[in-house]
Amino acid sequence: MNEKDQYKNRIELLQGTLDMLILQTLQWGPQHGYGIVQALRLRSGDVLHVETGSLYPALHRLERQGWVQSEWKQSESKQKARYYRITAKGKKQLASDLGRWERIVEAIGSVMYVKPEESAS
Amino acid sequence: MKWLPSFGFQRRNRELQEEIDAHLQMAVADRVARGETEETARQAATREFGNIALVQDVTRQMWGGGWFEQIGRDVRYALRQLRKSPGFTITATAMLTVAICANSTVFSWIDGTMLRPIPGARDTGDLFSLQRGERNFSPTPPFSYLDYRDLREQNRTFTGVLAYHHDWITLTGGAEPERAYIANVSANYFDVLGIKPMLGRFFLSEEETDPATPSVVLSYSLWKTRYAEDAAIVGKSIEIARHPVTVIGVAPEGVVGAMPGLRDDLWVTLDPLGTDVWRMTHRSGGAVWLNVIGRLRPGVSRGQAAQDLDTVMHHIVAEYPDEHLGENRITLDPMWRSPFGANGYMAATLPILLAFAALVLLLTCANVATLTLVRFVSRRRELAIRQSLGANRIQLVWQMVLEGMVLSIVAGSVALVLTSWTSKTFAWFFPANSNPVILNGSMDHKVVIGIAVSSLLAGMLCGALPGWRSSHAPAIEVLKAESASISGGSRNRKLLSGLVVAQIALSLPLLICSGLFLRTLRNLAVANPGFEQDHILTATVGLNIAGYGRDEEQVIRHKILDRVSALPGVKVASFTDWIPMTLSHKGEDAYPEGYVPHPHESLQVYHAEVGPRYFESLHIPILEGREFTPHDDEKAPRVLIVDQTAARRYWPGQDPLGKNLRIWGRLFAVVGVARNSTHMLVNESPEPMVYMSFFQQGYETIVQVETEGNPVDLAPAVQNAIHEIDTRLPVFNVRSMRESTQMASSFAVIQSTLAGMFALIGLVLAVTGIYGVVAYRTQMRTHEIGVRMAVGASRVDVLRLVLSQGLSLTGIGLALGLAFALGLTRLIARLLYGIGANDPVTVVSVVMLLGAMSLVACYLPAHRAMRRNPVTAIREL
Repeated sequence: MNEKDQYKNRIELLQGTLDMLILQTLQWGPQHGYGIVQALRLRSGDVLHVETGSLYPALHRLERQGWVQSEWKQSESKQKARYYRITAKGKKQLASDLGRWERIVEAIGSVMYVKPEESAS
Repeated sequence: MKWLPSFGFQRRNRELQEEIDAHLQMAVADRVARGETEETARQAATREFGNIALVQDVTRQMWGGGWFEQIGRDVRYALRQLRKSPGFTITATAMLTVAICANSTVFSWIDGTMLRPIPGARDTGDLFSLQRGERNFSPTPPFSYLDYRDLREQNRTFTGVLAYHHDWITLTGGAEPERAYIANVSANYFDVLGIKPMLGRFFLSEEETDPATPSVVLSYSLWKTRYAEDAAIVGKSIEIARHPVTVIGVAPEGVVGAMPGLRDDLWVTLDPLGTDVWRMTHRSGGAVWLNVIGRLRPGVSRGQAAQDLDTVMHHIVAEYPDEHLGENRITLDPMWRSPFGANGYMAATLPILLAFAALVLLLTCANVATLTLVRFVSRRRELAIRQSLGANRIQLVWQMVLEGMVLSIVAGSVALVLTSWTSKTFAWFFPANSNPVILNGSMDHKVVIGIAVSSLLAGMLCGALPGWRSSHAPAIEVLKAESASISGGSRNRKLLSGLVVAQIALSLPLLICSGLFLRTLRNLAVANPGFEQDHILTATVGLNIAGYGRDEEQVIRHKILDRVSALPGVKVASFTDWIPMTLSHKGEDAYPEGYVPHPHESLQVYHAEVGPRYFESLHIPILEGREFTPHDDEKAPRVLIVDQTAARRYWPGQDPLGKNLRIWGRLFAVVGVARNSTHMLVNESPEPMVYMSFFQQGYETIVQVETEGNPVDLAPAVQNAIHEIDTRLPVFNVRSMRESTQMASSFAVIQSTLAGMFALIGLVLAVTGIYGVVAYRTQMRTHEIGVRMAVGASRVDVLRLVLSQGLSLTGIGLALGLAFALGLTRLIARLLYGIGANDPVTVVSVVMLLGAMSLVACYLPAHRAMRRNPVTAIREL
């Protein structure tokens, strides 16, 4: 399997989930790509490391779908960077993503934590 | 690459680059802030980021929707690749240009002739030409007016049926008398064709048989040249053959009449002066003079229409059996292959040439594919790298197809420009002659579409095949492998071999066909037509069309004969009203006395009216009886000379002298039998011919002179002699017999010229193809050959190794090509003369030629390999 395919699989794995994470990050204010990576790492307690090869395609896709908007701005450290901001449409999407995520977690949970006596009967 | 539209692609690309740069810089800044050195921070950040180019690539794909940008990017990449190898690019483009141009040129000729049979007419696909009796080349007009009228009124399958008769006439009344081509037409002629007048009106139905005043419709070009674009010409009177006629309208520009390939300058009704009542009221003999074209009702098939017309004709025949003795079945032909006019000949020639051109295109594609494959094999590393960077096979194939497309689109554009010129070269093939031939190619949207389609097909063929093959190789192996094995996965070898075999197999039939055509042309040139061609001059005198009275005409004719005979350098002067081998003839139904025709037998004979000493001047022997004398004039009994074909057909085993033949209701007595000679084409099947006395039946006056020296030298003297009698006498078509009869071989010339050119291209392509492949493979095997020689192989062994490889491919190609050729030559058998379609001499010599050329093509690289120093060869990895 070549490198390209690996990337593809990772994106598929996180499909929706990565989008949701990015949109959630942007809820707290406009952010650039590097900032998003750092924020996710911090908030996840250094567990989630988003690959740039997944992040930037995702950002550009979200922009094309109209869930985020971007503009070039100076950062606090005088670095010119592209800042992404969540749109109203993006917020709606985030709410529906979150709802779906909760249902999935619940469903997976109810499969994983089945009580033994129930399964025996 | 500034000229390619980028549509913001470059801006977005730049922004992505900046975004990534910003990301890296922020990462570096963070690490530096945490205490790392600038250097290690930069390295770590870059490592953490990953493959920048790949991130850019996958991100770009998210932009989506920009398939146009995607293509733009791919095209730019293709152009860059092509620019890297200018030799390949130029060669391939040039070859494709020639091949596409060959196709578009022949197609433009088809488009200008067969596909545009009646310029200016509406929906020519619905028009069908009616033929009565057996189908043959360039038949005489098949219908009488009354038969035509019955067919027109009683059929139920046509929206309209028109009739016309093509003729020529002299325009008088101006400063100079001028010969013009005229058609007598039915009143609905322009209606059925769907043509509206540019000025004035066309004929009314009541004018068809009973015109109140003689009226004429002018063609646009005549109106422009002779009448100076007079906008008020409608209603004015002009003079035709000294008769005043009223102009009622002018046809739009480009309208030249309903006979494909021939031009009419003006149109009159069927009997404009009311002097041809006999012709309008009879059904046989001289009253059979009209060509008929019908426009089919929508939804009616050709078969239904033919059946409908047959039924009507059957009733006519039942009612007037004596006037319809011969074959009366009606056949319908679409205008593109109408036997009347030029399209009969076109339909026999041009589609075959187009098939040849298509073969050339296929051959070129095979050749370019070979070059592409060789080139891609050497680009194998690049492809493997792209593949390992994530390009999938479809993308790689697409990239190669695109390169093929770019080549063929460029080639197509050049071909487009070239074709706008080559399409007009068709007219070159027709020597000056007495027919108003207006054949030429045309360059319109159909040709442009044709070029586009052939370019795209060529591009696909050139790119897809090698692309698919090359992309098959597993990337890792290629990257690991040494250069020597890059060359030749066995799959690529097979494909290369296949392409070489295909090129030889395709070029062989081309060569064989062109060989057959060339030998046909030579056979035609040396064939003895049965009459003298070399010392004969002919000149047409416009007596009949200049409006002289009948008696005046005869007096002038005798004067002409006296004056021209007396000219120095003239051996014999005579008259005729027909010149053989000019693709024209006159036909008439003849009823031999005492001969019972078979059912459906055509009684049509060719006829010509010839003066005293005609046969002497053309060196045609009179086998029995006598030649015409000046005494065979209007006061004397009607006499005939028949040729051998007529004599054998009507009076087998009997003496034809003194027998009678009824033509136009009159009896003619046979006074002589002439030897057969060629009438139309050298390879015709002989038709019965009857000669009548010029002073009894002559219509058009053609002076025929046998000269001592070059006939053309005498032309001015002959013209002067005639003008001394009356300066107003129009004299035209003054030319040697040799020049006139060239018309009969013009289609053979077209066939052999084009087939020859195509075959030459094919030969060059096939030979360079095999040379290229053998040279390439030998080069790739340099190392192996070095090893072989180092372990004791002799130079002869090496030579044999390389040669056997190339020659076995040639052998397979020749065998396949031979099978292909045997099928193809059957298609052209009809066009050959004096040679069989599978003529062994031609086949063997062509096979030997191609074999010998391949041998040379294989020998050169073999020789080079043999001369290599084994030590350097081994080092060359």
